[in-house]
Amino acid sequence: MGAQISAISYIFPKNKITNENLQKEFPDYNFSKFEKKVGILNRYVVENGETALGLATEACEKLFHLTDKNNIDFLLYCTQSPEYFLPTTACLLAKNLKLPIGIGALDYNLGCSGYTYGLSLAKGLIESGQVKNVLLVTAETYSKYINPKDKSNRAIFGDAASATLITTSEQNNISQILFGTNGDGAEHLIVKNGCSYPYDPEANEIVYGTDNLYTDNDLYMNGPEIFRFTTEQIPNFVLSILNNQNLEINDVDQYIFHQANSFMLNQIRIKLNIPKERFYINLADGGNTVSSTIPIALKRYLDQNQSSSSRKIMLVGFGVGLSWSGGIITI
Amino acid sequence: MTKDAFIKLLQDELEYENELYGNTLIKELEEWDSMSAMILIGVVAQNFGVTLKANDIEAITTIDSILEIIGSDKFN
Repeated sequence: MGAQISAISYIFPKNKITNENLQKEFPDYNFSKFEKKVGILNRYVVENGETALGLATEACEKLFHLTDKNNIDFLLYCTQSPEYFLPTTACLLAKNLKLPIGIGALDYNLGCSGYTYGLSLAKGLIESGQVKNVLLVTAETYSKYINPKDKSNRAIFGDAASATLITTSEQNNISQILFGTNGDGAEHLIVKNGCSYPYDPEANEIVYGTDNLYTDNDLYMNGPEIFRFTTEQIPNFVLSILNNQNLEINDVDQYIFHQANSFMLNQIRIKLNIPKERFYINLADGGNTVSSTIPIALKRYLDQNQSSSSRKIMLVGFGVGLSWSGGIITI
Repeated sequence: MTKDAFIKLLQDELEYENELYGNTLIKELEEWDSMSAMILIGVVAQNFGVTLKANDIEAITTIDSILEIIGSDKFN
C-alpha cells in the first residue's frame, strides 16, 4: 500500500500588486531588472481583515469541487500565520469546512520546506494504516509581517493558500522524503517580536540591503546568506534524493522546487546540469508564497502538461529554519 | 579566467550602464543593490566554486577587492 496526490487547488487573495504599483512607491529601484532576474511580475496580498485561515478555507472549498470532503480523516495545516496563539488553527479550519468530527487535525509551523514535509507526514499516516485520506493545507500571509518600507521583501513575497488531497493507492507514489535542518541559520529569515518576545511599538527602524527598512517586529531576510545556503546545500540534497531512489538526473521527468527566485533556481539547475525543459520555473504570477509555491507550481505544471502516462517529479522545499525536505512523487 | 574577462562577465551579468574597472568602488555606484549582490554571488560561485558570504559582500570595496576574496591564484 502507498500514498498518492489525488487533487490540488490553490488560491490567491484578490488584491494584486504589480511591479508598476511598486515602482510608483519606490521610484529609485530598478523593477524591470528585478522582473528579469527574479522573475516576479505581480504578487497578491491580503487586505484588512483577510487572514491565512480565510485563504485556506477558500482553497479547500475549491478542492471540494473535485473531491468529497466527507472522506477526509486527517487535516494537516502548515502555516506560520496562525489565526491565534491558541487554539490550533486546523480546528477552526475543520469547523469552517464542516469536516466530520471524527477527524484528526493539527498545525505545523514550517515555511518553504512545509509542503514536502506535509507529504511525508501524510504518507506516514496513510502507510501505517491510521488514515485513508489526508487533506494537506498550506496558507501564509507574510505580507502582514513585512514592513511597508521593505521593498525587497514586498517585491518577493506574496500571500496564498493551497489544498492537496492525499489518498491511499496501490502503488507507492510518494517516495521516501528526505530532510535537512540547520538552526544555525535561524537568524537569517526571522520575525523576532510578537511571540515570546513581545511586539515593541517603539522598535527602531533598521536599514538593510538596498535602503530597505524593517524593525524587529517585521520579517527580516538576509538575502545573501539565504542565497548562499540554497546554492550550497540544495544541489547536494537533490543528489541525495536521486541516490536514495537509485535514479539519475534524466530519470526524473520534472524538477519542481520551491519557487523562491528564478535567478537562484537557475543557479541550482546549472550546478546540477538539469536540462531547462525538465526544470520548472513559474513564479511571475504570485511570487514567493512560501509553503504554497510547490503545490501551485505542481498544479500549474500538471494543468499545462496533461499526459496519460505517469511521470516522476522531484519536489524540494527549502528556506526558513533553516529547513529543507524533498522527494519524488509519481503522478 | 583573466581579470579582464571576469570584469567583462560581471559587467554583462549586472547590466550596469557604468563601465567597470579594477578600481571601481562598486558599492558606491547608484546601480548597486541587493540584486547586484545576488548576481555577484551567483557569478562567482558558478565560475570559481567560491561562495561569497554576507560579510564578504559587506567587505567589498573595489572590483579588485572582489578578486582578492576569490583568490588571486584563480586568475591568470
